[in-house]
Amino acid sequence: MVQKSDFKRVDEYIWELPKETRDDMRVPARLFGDAELFEAAFRDRTVEQLMNTATLPGIVKHALAMPDFHQGYGLPIGGVVATRADTGVISPGGVGYDINCGVRLLGTHLERGAVAPYVRDLTAALYRECPSGVGGNGRVRASERELDELVVQGARWALKRGLARQEDLAHTEEQGLLPGADPSHVSARAKDRGRPQVGSLGAGNHFLEIDVVEEIYDAQVAQVFGLWEEQVVVQIHCGSRAYGHQVCDDYVRDLQSAVLKYNLSLPDRELVCAPVDSPEGRAYYSAMACAVNYAFVNRQVLAMGVREAFEQVLAGKVKNFDLFQVYDVAHNIAKFEQHEVDGRKTRLCVHRKGATRSAGPGYEGLPADYRDVGQPVLVPGSMGTASYVLVGTQAAMALSFGSACHGAGRVMSRHQALKQVQGSELRQELEQQGIVVRAGSNKGLAEEAPIAYKDVSRVVEVVHGAGLARKVARLRPLAVIKG
Amino acid sequence: MDKRFEEVEHTADIAIRVWGRDLAELFANAAYGMACQLADVATVERTVEHEIQLEDWDAETLLVSWLDEFLYANERDGLVFTDFDVLEVSPTRLRAVVRGGPAPVRWHSIKAVTFNDLRIVRTAEGYETTIVFDV
Repeated sequence: MVQKSDFKRVDEYIWELPKETRDDMRVPARLFGDAELFEAAFRDRTVEQLMNTATLPGIVKHALAMPDFHQGYGLPIGGVVATRADTGVISPGGVGYDINCGVRLLGTHLERGAVAPYVRDLTAALYRECPSGVGGNGRVRASERELDELVVQGARWALKRGLARQEDLAHTEEQGLLPGADPSHVSARAKDRGRPQVGSLGAGNHFLEIDVVEEIYDAQVAQVFGLWEEQVVVQIHCGSRAYGHQVCDDYVRDLQSAVLKYNLSLPDRELVCAPVDSPEGRAYYSAMACAVNYAFVNRQVLAMGVREAFEQVLAGKVKNFDLFQVYDVAHNIAKFEQHEVDGRKTRLCVHRKGATRSAGPGYEGLPADYRDVGQPVLVPGSMGTASYVLVGTQAAMALSFGSACHGAGRVMSRHQALKQVQGSELRQELEQQGIVVRAGSNKGLAEEAPIAYKDVSRVVEVVHGAGLARKVARLRPLAVIKG
Repeated sequence: MDKRFEEVEHTADIAIRVWGRDLAELFANAAYGMACQLADVATVERTVEHEIQLEDWDAETLLVSWLDEFLYANERDGLVFTDFDVLEVSPTRLRAVVRGGPAPVRWHSIKAVTFNDLRIVRTAEGYETTIVFDV
């Protein structure tokens, strides 16, 4: 068993496990955290999973875990792994089942005082306009052909259908379209499952929140992002629904045989992979890209639902009830990016599983208005606690392939949370704090109780302190909608 | 064998340990264990019967495919299966008749059955495995 003493503290917030720790590790493993978060890694199987990850063929520099890490399957959640695009592998388990699960932040032109009398009505309207819950059909019902077009065109499909604005696309990672999507590599079952769900939130940890900007840390960047103190904003957290789940499921199963074919030896079958440059690897990438684009469209359609809900409730009552898009980030994704390895720009396949890209100033592909400051990094906290808006840094390029955390990170199982928390009591507590709650079930609510999560502020302090991203603003919820 | 399955702690997801005197029972118990995560099985009336035939290249993959059949039926038609007659099973083939129905009380939405450390192990009493579900 690996012990804390096997790690070397290479920096205030970086803990490194040398590659010699286990024979099959190809690179060292690194955890980001303060002393307390580091301790938490030994309470579940995060360390073992990170070591397993370090065995992936073609992996460069380090196997990384962001400070919101916790045990997952295959990779730990919070995992960042970059493999060489020419000789390395791509792993569906390294992206996860909820492909392009991510967060979208919408800003209003309203301050808390103006919205306060309508929060309950807004919550009801959002619950109606943005379908949520187990199973659950979405706002859009696409035909088979439309679904194939949707996953190839991404957010542009939504734009053509009047479900997006040009400026929404500009403020979306990859402009809402990951290239290389090919639905011929997606199973009939994935299409069948995904077709009715476009524009739906789902269940589990997915949510929709009305928040208020409680504190600004960096006034200049906040202004660029369109954020100001006391402003009301909306967060949407969801992914590619059953479409993405099925794509991952299909390829984790299908690639089991590729592992034999390419003579790959893996410590965990969930880490199943294929060379990036192989028929199997290319097929997975093009199917994953379909799911990525599905998720961009899903959040886009939900954003239009949010706009409609605001209009229904606020039209004629307040002056400007429109919402603009601050940004949309993916946190479960594999992408080809250029990073420096051994002093040379190298094309890598960067897997982020519960991690957000944190592109700094000057990064190619950022919209013109954000290029000088870096991208917004959106970090939702656990229910009823704070969320953060950070900005990407250049330092993150060297430290983490331009990545930062994606949330608070769980510390307690759902089972344990249910033993300790009553959903109805939690609902009352949140209401007492002035947070309006709409949830599909009390059980689902209890499983997502704040005590089941790390302290998001602590995680963000590490991210900020380590230089992975910088703090811009803190948000506090006014209303929470859960499936 | 008294105990069909038990829940195992997992920080974020759901895991169950499953036992069976033979592969057929292991597969049946795994499906039952998953059904108990999906819904209150006591409320499910057995109104639907399906026949399932699967082929895969090893026992673990077959187990995942088998459980996937129920996730699919659950999501598509809201069905939960609670009764499993595994008529024929080898590490690469399975034939079964399963019964279930709509579930009035649904617990979780399971995104997927994972291969995380998935191994079907032989024990003195039969077979054992631990399955992690992504929720």
